[in-house]
Amino acid sequence: MAENPFDPVTLSKIASMELRAKLVVDGVLSGIHKSPYKGSSIEFLEHKEYSPGDEVKHIDWKVLAKTDKYYIKQFEEETNLKCYIFLDSSGSMGYKSTGISKFEYAATLAASLAYLLLKQSDLVGLISFSDKVLQYIPPRSRLTHLHVLLNALTELKTAGKSDTSAVLNEFVEKIGRRSLIMVISDFFDDTKKIIHQLKYFLFKKSEVILFHILDPYELTFPFEAITFFESLEDERRILADPKSIKEQYLSEINHFIQQFKQSCFENQIDYCLIDSSTPLDQALVGFLAKRETALHPIRKG
Amino acid sequence: MLSFLNPLLLLGVLGASIPIIIHLINRKKAISHKFAAIGFLLETKKRIYVKFKLRQLILLILRASLLIFLAIALARPLIRNYGGASEKNIPTSNVIIIDDSYSMQYADRNESFFTLAKTAASKIVDTLAKEDEAVIITCSGITSQVLPELDYDKKHLLDSIKQMQSGYTITRITPALDAAIEIFATARTSVKRIFLLTDMTRNGWDPAWFKSGQEKLQKHVSRVHIVDISEGRKLKNIAITHIEPKLAVLERIAEGHIKATVSNFSSAQAKDLLAQVFIDGKKVTQGFFNIEANASETKEFSFTIEKGKVHQGWIEIAGDNLSADDRRYFVLNTLHKLDTLLIDGDPRTNIYESETFYLEKALNPGREHASPIKPAICSIHEVGNVTFANFNIIFLCNVETLPFEKIRELEKFAKEGGAVVFTLGNKVDANYYNNSFGTLLPHRLHTTKTFSGSSPLSEEQPLTLKAVEPIHPAIRILPETQMNILSSAKFYRIFYVDPTPLGNTRTILSFSDNTPALIERQVERGKAVLFVSSIDRDWTDLPVRPFFLPLMQQLCRFVSGSIFEEVQKEILVRHDWQFPRTANMNAIEITNPEGAKIIVQPRFVNNEESFSYTETNVPGIYTVTVDGKPHPQLPSAFPVNVDTTESNLDKIDQKEITAFMGGTNLTITTSHVSEGHDVLLGEAKKTLWGTILFLTLCILFVESFISRK
Repeated sequence: MAENPFDPVTLSKIASMELRAKLVVDGVLSGIHKSPYKGSSIEFLEHKEYSPGDEVKHIDWKVLAKTDKYYIKQFEEETNLKCYIFLDSSGSMGYKSTGISKFEYAATLAASLAYLLLKQSDLVGLISFSDKVLQYIPPRSRLTHLHVLLNALTELKTAGKSDTSAVLNEFVEKIGRRSLIMVISDFFDDTKKIIHQLKYFLFKKSEVILFHILDPYELTFPFEAITFFESLEDERRILADPKSIKEQYLSEINHFIQQFKQSCFENQIDYCLIDSSTPLDQALVGFLAKRETALHPIRKG
Repeated sequence: MLSFLNPLLLLGVLGASIPIIIHLINRKKAISHKFAAIGFLLETKKRIYVKFKLRQLILLILRASLLIFLAIALARPLIRNYGGASEKNIPTSNVIIIDDSYSMQYADRNESFFTLAKTAASKIVDTLAKEDEAVIITCSGITSQVLPELDYDKKHLLDSIKQMQSGYTITRITPALDAAIEIFATARTSVKRIFLLTDMTRNGWDPAWFKSGQEKLQKHVSRVHIVDISEGRKLKNIAITHIEPKLAVLERIAEGHIKATVSNFSSAQAKDLLAQVFIDGKKVTQGFFNIEANASETKEFSFTIEKGKVHQGWIEIAGDNLSADDRRYFVLNTLHKLDTLLIDGDPRTNIYESETFYLEKALNPGREHASPIKPAICSIHEVGNVTFANFNIIFLCNVETLPFEKIRELEKFAKEGGAVVFTLGNKVDANYYNNSFGTLLPHRLHTTKTFSGSSPLSEEQPLTLKAVEPIHPAIRILPETQMNILSSAKFYRIFYVDPTPLGNTRTILSFSDNTPALIERQVERGKAVLFVSSIDRDWTDLPVRPFFLPLMQQLCRFVSGSIFEEVQKEILVRHDWQFPRTANMNAIEITNPEGAKIIVQPRFVNNEESFSYTETNVPGIYTVTVDGKPHPQLPSAFPVNVDTTESNLDKIDQKEITAFMGGTNLTITTSHVSEGHDVLLGEAKKTLWGTILFLTLCILFVESFISRK
């Protein structure tokens, strides 16, 4: 049986992040043929009478032919979309049960998203963080910018605690209006504060998408033997009989996910829970589908 | 007080640490795992901490207690009862009573109850401390012996237990309790304990004794502990409870008949129970009994036996758990008949009027085999042709005279052991008799006296007979209550005799005026008897009285020294055998069935000089000899059998015993003697290991339920 090229394990075998990103995005695009993002930033808004100084290339020749008047096409936003990818690089993201770690998964996802967006001439920036900003690459739209992003992603290592809300707070002022904010994290953090911070972006008409990456073991807790569970971020450790706490643990984490999801929904934040064992194309398709729904709700309806 | 039969196994309690050790090992062996969602684990643990810890604690407690309980159960705990006051470390005086009745020979397993009782007694002695004193007595061994004393020497006590043998007596608990109380009079300690090791059969308990005995027990005994050696089981037994041997001696052979009653003392029917009769060690006949539960059946067995000897025999049934009552012994005497010569001094053509007519009929009524006495009649004229030595008894019935040489022969006959009986009549001349038979007559004859009012010779009312106290063996055939029957015979004429006896005489019967009627005289080895009236109906109506026949037959037996019957009356174990002393017999030898010989000398019993033998300890045939040989005037053997009241093994209820004992501090154990010493000492009232094992199982169930949850 041929290997699924989007399987995280298969992707992990591909050393080059660029290749990984291209593989995922090209595959996804070829599968859906038409990206709903195409022209999202050059969407036609209205006609206006031509006046000197307007660009000739925007003259609607068809209208001229019909009416013998010069009209130029006006677009919703003339500039390209600015996307900021917040990638959690805290210690907890380094956890992996099988296949690849959450961080590797998240980085590949970030690379794929960056590639996808740059391909559409959008501006893509990257902020990697733990409890502080580790690296900030401002958004650019050139395709060569992809290399910068991918290099940065490749060099990132997981360490430290995470404080997503603090990092978001830093960028509230820096990020302009109508940006696309994508946060990729396990959100083992204070989700209330995170939501609180994200509201500022929403207020600035930005869109927010959260990719919640969790390891399958974190979701199923399949341990059996008495184990010392050690924190990836600090010195905390706990001896536990997994069988005796499994039920309660699963209840806790599911409750956490549901709460978080509910909060996102209430604040019109796109939320996407991704099991790190899920093939990346599915995660991406899921994301694109959500985007399309968000941009063209009537059409979908 | 709680104690343990296997205290060493209590070390298993240390096993309670096993779950803790396992927990620590598991903790040590716990693997480390880096985990991102540790915050949730901490939160989880915080949330379920109390529940989790509680569950862990419960599981730990359950597992530890599981092992503790198991160890305790295996250590076999029991609650001791020292009978109110703790006897531990206090010197005690102990009387250990072993029931040695023959029901203790019951053996439905490998060992008899008696052996088990001995084992139990030994174990009890083993547990006694150095300062404790004790004595072992048996139920049967305390009546005729001097009571033993309390002893500190445990070895001596154990030896005495070892030497004990089961008896064949019936159970007698209460005399043993009496003896124990008496023994305690010399006790040097304040704690006095009686241990009674018995099979709890009902027959040994005398409720009447406890009316007074209860108070004595309470006053003198600290505690009575009864060990039911039978472990409370229902006991089954089949026994020969009665036999009635009969003998018919014919011309050439003898016929023996044994009527045997077999009783089934159990709740199950006994089918095709084989019973066999043995004579002189050989089986002569057999039969089968089918007896319903708790019922009896009687059957008669017949067989032929050789004449002219004493036969020893027994009847036995197929063995059951109690063999002591499965056999019953008897003795049949088919020795030659008593040849009796009746010299008729007044023969008549009409035989009804002959002097000896009634006597001959009494001695041998009807057919020949009906009586062992063989009478022959001759007249005075024929006497010359008769040799007296060929007879055992010679009756001179109204004989007027005898030739001189016959008188001498008669004297010799008597001196050598023969018996001469004089009966008088109108032909008797007192002077002639006094002169001729002076060496034989008990008294000199005096004059005649007539009593009938209707007779011309009448002087007074007719006399009657009466027995002389003590009852003479010659008339003992009549029951004492029926002695007044003698007064029915009327005597119209009698000879008075001189009051002075002519030798060693004894009056057997007297008249209503207290003058002697029937007198015996010991003549060296023989006997002479004088009846002072006629033996026909001339002077008395005695011959037509119903007791005439047994009286004459018994008289013959007595004078010939054959008072023992053809069928020897059985003696029960521990009952005395007695036989009147005959002349010149200073000692007899009695050999018991086990071959032990005892010399018995005569002694006075009820004013009568008798041989009395008390050592009838075992059932069987006892032989009687003089100088190593059977004596013609003694029974050569007599049977001794067990008292079958002991055969009924009905148990006495513990409640009844408690009621008998009243306020006496009493404990009753039904445990097997293999149980611990404490059980036998009555210090263990309740065993707990069953309950604890049950609890252990419950804990196991709960533990598995909780650990799976």
